[in-house]
Amino acid sequence: MIDTLNSLALGFSVALQPAVLFYAVLGCVVGTLVGVLPGLGPLAGISLLLPLTYGLTPTTAIVLLAGIYYGAMYGGSTTSILMRIPGEAASVITCVDGHAMTLKGRAGAALAIAALGSFVAGTLSVVALMLLAPPLASFALRFGPPEYVALLLLGFILLSYMSSGPMVNTLAMAALGLILGTVGIDLLSGFHRFTYGVTDLADGLGIVPVAVGLFGLSEILLTAGGDTPPSVYKPKLRELVPSREELKASISPCLRGSVLGFLIGIIPGSAHIISSFVSYGVEKRISKHPERFGHGAVEGVAGPESANNAAASGAFVPMLALGLPSGPIPAVLLAALMIHGVAPGPLLMEQHPDLVWGFIASMYIGNLVLLILNLPLVGIFVNVLRIPYSYLYPTIVVFCVLGVYAVNSSVVDVWIMLATGAVGYGLRKFEFDMAPAVLGMILSPIFEMSLGQSLAMSGGSYGIFLDRPIALTMLIMVLALLGLSLRDALKRQRGGWRTGAGLDA
Amino acid sequence: MRHRLQALATCAAFLLLPWLPALAQTYPDHPIQMIVPFPPGGVADLAGRPVAAAMEKTLKQPIVVQNRAGAGGAVGMAAAASAKPDGYTILVALSSISIIPEADKLFDRKPAYTLDQLAPIALLSADPTVLVVKSDAPWKSAKDFVEDAKKRPDTIAFASSGVYGTLHMAMAMFAAAADIKLRHVPFTGGGPALTALLGNNVQALASGPGPVAAQIKAGALRPLATWGNKRLEAFPDVPTFIELGYKDVEFYIWAGMFAPKGTPEPAMKALRDATRAAVKDPDFVETMKKLESPVTYMDAPEFQKFWDADAARLAKALVKIGRVQ
Repeated sequence: MIDTLNSLALGFSVALQPAVLFYAVLGCVVGTLVGVLPGLGPLAGISLLLPLTYGLTPTTAIVLLAGIYYGAMYGGSTTSILMRIPGEAASVITCVDGHAMTLKGRAGAALAIAALGSFVAGTLSVVALMLLAPPLASFALRFGPPEYVALLLLGFILLSYMSSGPMVNTLAMAALGLILGTVGIDLLSGFHRFTYGVTDLADGLGIVPVAVGLFGLSEILLTAGGDTPPSVYKPKLRELVPSREELKASISPCLRGSVLGFLIGIIPGSAHIISSFVSYGVEKRISKHPERFGHGAVEGVAGPESANNAAASGAFVPMLALGLPSGPIPAVLLAALMIHGVAPGPLLMEQHPDLVWGFIASMYIGNLVLLILNLPLVGIFVNVLRIPYSYLYPTIVVFCVLGVYAVNSSVVDVWIMLATGAVGYGLRKFEFDMAPAVLGMILSPIFEMSLGQSLAMSGGSYGIFLDRPIALTMLIMVLALLGLSLRDALKRQRGGWRTGAGLDA
Repeated sequence: MRHRLQALATCAAFLLLPWLPALAQTYPDHPIQMIVPFPPGGVADLAGRPVAAAMEKTLKQPIVVQNRAGAGGAVGMAAAASAKPDGYTILVALSSISIIPEADKLFDRKPAYTLDQLAPIALLSADPTVLVVKSDAPWKSAKDFVEDAKKRPDTIAFASSGVYGTLHMAMAMFAAAADIKLRHVPFTGGGPALTALLGNNVQALASGPGPVAAQIKAGALRPLATWGNKRLEAFPDVPTFIELGYKDVEFYIWAGMFAPKGTPEPAMKALRDATRAAVKDPDFVETMKKLESPVTYMDAPEFQKFWDADAARLAKALVKIGRVQ
């Protein structure tokens, strides 16, 4: 403990140097912008800015890039809440209740709750990162393909909580998402599926273009297709501040989201994207009034937004403790270190304590900066809604196209966004929800890949799922949850909560 | 009369003046685009950016690096292969450039590009892959590994960066030469494959030296052999497969620079000269050393020979693997 405090003191002495502090703040500001712009997510943001860090010192480079990463997690919720356009993949689910709150005139409150939740989660998970990184990292390493399969099975159960419409519609959309997720190279055989000779489709449909299309463009089309233009919203000052009840209702979801998000974040791979979905599903499952979800439940904003920020910090655990490029974002950060001659490895913390602890300390500062930055911005962002729709929406479409194109300089991605926008418009006319489709599309390729990898590891034997304790535990949880759902289904005639919530047709 | 001629000549000179630069062949007269077909932070990107910076010093024009990632590099390579051959589009690609068209052939696909659409400019680096296992693994040498693998075929699992990816090809070449059968578990890149090895989900990995150097120094991984034709400077105690008697087992993750075929000769010469100067640039040499990927320079003719031999080896290995069922 004393060691940790000493190290932290060293860290702050580094992080408070004017240059490091400057780049931490700069990273947070750029990150917020990257998050706010629809389509541009943290990975695209730090990838685009990586070359600019070549002239910096290793510490300032990593502090800047990490600031962009968790800054984007703060900013990602803004367009989700105001316009139902996901700022990045981890904020997709925030669109549902966040935008519903906007329609109820609570946009300011939703933005403030998202910022506060992100701050609490960000700070708590830096504490966890600082105290628990080494033991957690070895746990995270044990998370191989079989564990992923079990985790994703849990994720599939979540699909049914992603919608407030009839169950048939939810499952249809989930199936659509799963099918969309099969486009691209089959990882195990190298076979191109559903690419129709278009090389750009070999990596599959990107989550970002599809999510922006299904949520954002469809929303714009729906508004444009309405009989009467929507009335322009005039926010009042007292509506910017969350009410006492809203704050109270947000505390537990925020704490649960922080823990869940952090634990999911440390897992190597791309699991962090599902952290916000998991949090949403959990909040809805344990809520006494699940029927409020989808209609502006503040828990549906507080939980997921906390979870995605905690996951952002969690992702640094294997990176700092083991020097492992455990996911796409840590890989870019480690590349930035390698350029500066810092070889990432298990000795990173020992050999470069000033760098590692300076980085950790800068995250405390960064989270504070983001809170100070984001709370006043709430007032400004909400005022965006004052702009008449005939000016606002075309501008947003331009930003969507730019953001989606910038990620890979790919025109194909723009077409994907436009096509899914049209599909989303049609489906929403028939009152299908889009969230299960997006979650399905995220889950299906990872699930298929992990299942294939697990079976490749075991030479085709399914016993591998029973031999590994973490996987087995999670599979038992899956069965238990399925059992609970069955019980609910049986109770349906007697008025179980699902019927009350309108989950069953 | 003389006056008239003089006047005419002057007029002609003025008329020709705007065309003079074109006649003088001042390549390059506007910025050059460098396509890197992988995301920022990957090997190609890390080698491409500093070499671009060094070449700018000679060419006196900015070189704009554009990352066109996708389909294991096929998207960006195809874009470069079909770009206008005017000297203003160049490509920095890795060994996988030779594999992708062969894999397309294997699956009867319309190839994204063919190798004869590209002309080599220079080889920048060539790092032999290293066979690594966990340091608590039972095998102390490549010989132990082969013997054990022969005793229990199809049980030892290795990770790769993806099916037909560089790390898969390296291991497949070795397995074929040693006549052993291993389990192949593909991942979505070198990073996840390394994570899988350290997490005990697989038992072996062929990796570029850069990503594993620090893990080996920290004692987490043990190198058994390398795929080079001479020992690596960073690991002088680790034998090559050639030394161990597998004389065809040679594999490098290399980075090279290409231009679309048909790029005018003066532009090719300017690019080759600029690259030759760039690889001697101290900043570039220093950067590559930090990346554990020392500069291995070859000019176009020599690189063409190296590339042909490499592509032939890879094509042979790929046909041997065949379609994965």
